[in-house]
Amino acid sequence: MINRPVTNRRHFLTLAALVAVAPFPAWAQSADKAAAFVKSTGDKLVGVVNGPGSASAKRTEMTQIIDSDVDVEGIGRFCLGRYWKQATTDQQKQYLSLFHEVLVTNITAKLGEYKGVSFTMGRSKAQDEEAVVSTTVMRPNNPPTAVDWIIANPSADPKIVDVVAEGTSLRLTQRQDYASYLTHNNGSIDALIAAMKNQVSQSG
Amino acid sequence: MRSFPYSRLSFFGAPRTLALLALVVFGLSGCATKPPASDPDALADYEQTNDPLEPTNRVFYAVNNGLDTVILRPAALAYRYVLPAPVRDGVHNVLTNIGSPIQLANDILEAKPRRAGDTTMRLLINTTVGVLGIFDVATKWGYPNHDADFGMTLALWGVPEGPFLFLPVLGPSDPRDAAGFGVDIALDPFTWIGTGPNHPGWTAFTWSRYALNAIDTRERVLDSLDQIKKTALDPYATFRSLYRQHRHAQIEDARNDNRATIPIWFPQPANASAK
Repeated sequence: MINRPVTNRRHFLTLAALVAVAPFPAWAQSADKAAAFVKSTGDKLVGVVNGPGSASAKRTEMTQIIDSDVDVEGIGRFCLGRYWKQATTDQQKQYLSLFHEVLVTNITAKLGEYKGVSFTMGRSKAQDEEAVVSTTVMRPNNPPTAVDWIIANPSADPKIVDVVAEGTSLRLTQRQDYASYLTHNNGSIDALIAAMKNQVSQSG
Repeated sequence: MRSFPYSRLSFFGAPRTLALLALVVFGLSGCATKPPASDPDALADYEQTNDPLEPTNRVFYAVNNGLDTVILRPAALAYRYVLPAPVRDGVHNVLTNIGSPIQLANDILEAKPRRAGDTTMRLLINTTVGVLGIFDVATKWGYPNHDADFGMTLALWGVPEGPFLFLPVLGPSDPRDAAGFGVDIALDPFTWIGTGPNHPGWTAFTWSRYALNAIDTRERVLDSLDQIKKTALDPYATFRSLYRQHRHAQIEDARNDNRATIPIWFPQPANASAK
């Protein structure tokens, strides 16, 4: 559904409006740059997933890609929501480092499942400070999945800030998971940190 | 395509036991306490979550989770173990094809002529060339599948979703989708042919279809659900979030599908040709 030709009247009008108001080259550029960025990051990820190498070597490679291409701190802050401001500097630091570890662990835990993965690029569009790049991810024995990548600062320093799979946002889901956990633990950030620590130690 | 983990996990058990269980559970549980107005952040969270029946919902989540662990998940694992992927795909395609009359009815009720056209072509092509729906030839011929159910139709008609519900057996829902589920059963021609004790064959068909649908859906989300239960701090809240986000995406997809209905042989106005 992503790789069908996509121009409907409304999109055309939006585009026309944007051309009229905004400096078109800059706008088109940031969407193109975002697309190129997603393509290169995607190729790197697919390379690691399908490549040879031990699980621990893959984890190291994966960590490098995440650190260079994903705005882990920004996502971490977003996921803590209104509790970010309530946290002490020390809690914030602890939380972010755990968040990084949980993210890496969750992604690397899925690597085996994703063996044989490939993706095709769809359209990309710039909105505000961000760009949305659509892709279709194919896995053996699985229906193709529509995945959108939200890229912040597409033209200067592109970073992935969210991944939206079939309409479900990774960071929003995580934020609501944490929010619910905090609500049921009297809003104690220490409880959240303890739970995350537990999670990291369990998955090794 | 577009079948998604958290939308419709359903299987049908003994209704009487469940009714009894529901009675017991409703007797035990209450409502979530609304935070006081002095804590605006907490209040905003509460309103955004829109889950006033959370304690009851969590009980049903636990019950369903238990049923899933002992019945549905093992069944799905066995299904995956016994049948190779191409056969499972064939089964999935047949089930999708059998469901297309409901889809078509909803496409029409949603006033989406191009979607109704796609569904009609899919039904015709896949039932014939696709050998009773085993092979999804229509997708290759340019008629991809899409989602349509009465819950989505109600949403497009402007009916609000209402608070979150976690239903026994059926799983995550809301009043709109629960109503939609019932209407979809009524819209299904297979509900009305050969019911009653004089048609044991049809009755067997209907129930096998429900069971197979449940196992097929569950098998397709085995890995995702295992992963979520392992990584989420609060799986219930995570499923709630995923269910809603996914439903919103399905509804927006339908809403934004405004492909023109001008025949191919007619002179096409510029920029209105295809979606």
